[in-house]
Amino acid sequence: MDYGLKPLGREKLWLGVMLGPTLIGLVFGALGSILATLVLSFTHWDLLTPITPAGFSNYVALFTNPAYLKALINTFEFSAMYVPGVVIVSMFVAVLMDSKIRGISIFRTIYFLPAVTSAVATALVWNMIYGKDTGILNYYLSSLGFQTVCWLCTKNAMVSVVIVNIWGAIGEGMIIFLAGLTAIPSEYYEAASIDGANVFQVFFGITLPLVTPSIFFQTLISTINAFQAYDYIYMMTRQGQGDSSVPVVVFSIYRNAWNFFNYGGASAQAIELAVLVILLMGFYFWLERRYVVYE
Amino acid sequence: MKKISFSLVIVALLLLTACGGQKAAGGTSGAPVKITYMEWGDPAELDVWKAIVSDFEAANPNITVDVQVSDWDSYWTKLKTLLAANSSPDVFAMDAPLYLDYQARGSLLNLQPYIDKNPGMLDGLFPITLEAYKTPQGYFGLPRDFQTIVVFYNKDMFDKAGVAYPKAGWTYDDLRATAKALTKDTKGDGTIDQFGYVIDPWDMEPGWSEIVWAYGGDIISADHTKTLVGEPKARQAWQFLYDMMHVDKSIPDPNTTSQYGGDLFLSGNAAMMAMGHWAVPSYSEATFKWDVVPMPTGPAGQATSVNSAGFVIGKDSAHPDAAFAFIKFVLSQAGQTRLAQMGFACPVLKSVAASPAFLQQKAQINNQIFIDSLAYAHMKPVFKGYDEWASVVGDGLTPVWNGEADLTTTLDKIVVDADAVLAKNK
Repeated sequence: MDYGLKPLGREKLWLGVMLGPTLIGLVFGALGSILATLVLSFTHWDLLTPITPAGFSNYVALFTNPAYLKALINTFEFSAMYVPGVVIVSMFVAVLMDSKIRGISIFRTIYFLPAVTSAVATALVWNMIYGKDTGILNYYLSSLGFQTVCWLCTKNAMVSVVIVNIWGAIGEGMIIFLAGLTAIPSEYYEAASIDGANVFQVFFGITLPLVTPSIFFQTLISTINAFQAYDYIYMMTRQGQGDSSVPVVVFSIYRNAWNFFNYGGASAQAIELAVLVILLMGFYFWLERRYVVYE
Repeated sequence: MKKISFSLVIVALLLLTACGGQKAAGGTSGAPVKITYMEWGDPAELDVWKAIVSDFEAANPNITVDVQVSDWDSYWTKLKTLLAANSSPDVFAMDAPLYLDYQARGSLLNLQPYIDKNPGMLDGLFPITLEAYKTPQGYFGLPRDFQTIVVFYNKDMFDKAGVAYPKAGWTYDDLRATAKALTKDTKGDGTIDQFGYVIDPWDMEPGWSEIVWAYGGDIISADHTKTLVGEPKARQAWQFLYDMMHVDKSIPDPNTTSQYGGDLFLSGNAAMMAMGHWAVPSYSEATFKWDVVPMPTGPAGQATSVNSAGFVIGKDSAHPDAAFAFIKFVLSQAGQTRLAQMGFACPVLKSVAASPAFLQQKAQINNQIFIDSLAYAHMKPVFKGYDEWASVVGDGLTPVWNGEADLTTTLDKIVVDADAVLAKNK
């Protein structure tokens, strides 16, 4: 990958000055803490008494602790619904938002709003929407003659939180896809319209192949987000004593570290989460080489 | 999407450890000393604590106290981070059930030598409030205030329905009949929107411990190795609550409760509620008339829960003498009077509990009932691993309350899981 402008002479100095603060932050904040987490994952630590070596026992627990395994399965289940959901829905919204009608920026702003709204406030509103007897959603379902649904009961909670998380991610996905759509040269569309292609032929023959870089990028970002998803899920599924009816891995890490005096175990879970994300990223980049079209 | 940066916290800890080592000498009279007091609470509490601190500082001119108040969740995270970095506050608040998690890990200073130097200082306190902090080596903490659970009831709702107010000496059967009479679909839309009784069924304190004891059951064994909530008498109590919730529908299930923002009593959707004194300040703003009545009697007699919030001193406090002087002041007549006027809890000092400072507050209710409840109160259990155990039991039963799981089989499973938590925390 060799493109763009290269810094020359004094520019190199300024490059260092500008990047310095971020790099220092990354080295101490990210790298240092990654190393610390790695070290702690081989120890027993309750935060209060001295750290003792644990060998691989925290890693063995990853395969034997039923609560953690449940969280891991939930995270995969969540990601399997969330990632395709975000990519498809936000691409669809972006195609709609790509039109040149009056007031389009207002619609774009509305779709982006969830991204800049506090997750706690959003989750509270969704709790009201999902309410079993008083919720708006069930009100409409019953007025249309459908059976009402207990959206946040244990058996439905996963789907309900996936919907909210997809909704919350449309805005950012839309921006990525809008950028990709705008970059498609209009000549292709003009040529297609001269040849009499219909809307579907245009979409599947021109738009879709040429936004594959955006699809790739959005899939990557959504996967990382899916594995780290926590705030909406916890706010909507938390229970009286701090548990969640849809526990995910990040939740398990938090609980073990701060509620169960098990910092070592939490660190091992964090390392496994990172390794899983890295492996998936490797797979994505392999897919990218085969299928992504760069113009 | 927000992620939790544990790694950042770890680095912060390492840095704090590096610079938190030095310890100043002091705490003796003469040289000026600054101590920190940290607690969870409502921002409104800060003003009362500032008043207590200024009284204390007037009596002890060489000591200044820095008060820090956090909300419940951030308090414990902050506290653990500070303890891990060996820079704990000098004095900090402790919830009795969590006390052993800190005491057994050696994070707390043994207060016994200081208590021994002040003979008689605990004589005026209610003995049961001290119980939680007692260890074979002495006290590593002292109670600051306490909570007993009573039944709050909405007088206007009783009047409207023409139902007689509950009276001391009532039974659980009376409670059930009263609750049933007050459960209504006021809008007539086929959904119940006024409930007779509301509890936090996931929480032992204003939820289920009272009825388990009243039926002759218990929570955990005295040696903290066995979970007893699955024993036959406790199961009768669970069944009673289950029937009220699912047969009579007079107690709302958790999914229903959450639709009302969590507090059906204040929103005027519940006639009765099991609750502690911490709710009194916010309910004094209620638009309806209400009062309190003792917990009902069960087959094994009357029972309620008592839990005391307390003080502890960090093991590495640089000024333990000043810190203890502060605790002693808050336990004195002056300190307890101010705390009582704040109204969030009951004073542990008997003389203040009998004084107008506690008995006559903004809300015109019978505060004496909270004190009289001590006569038949059981201590909310104190054991290592409380948080995890309480979640296994309390949250484990939530699917049952929501009507998604069977009570008997769920209890069977919960007892096994809860015993595993106890074994891990041995």
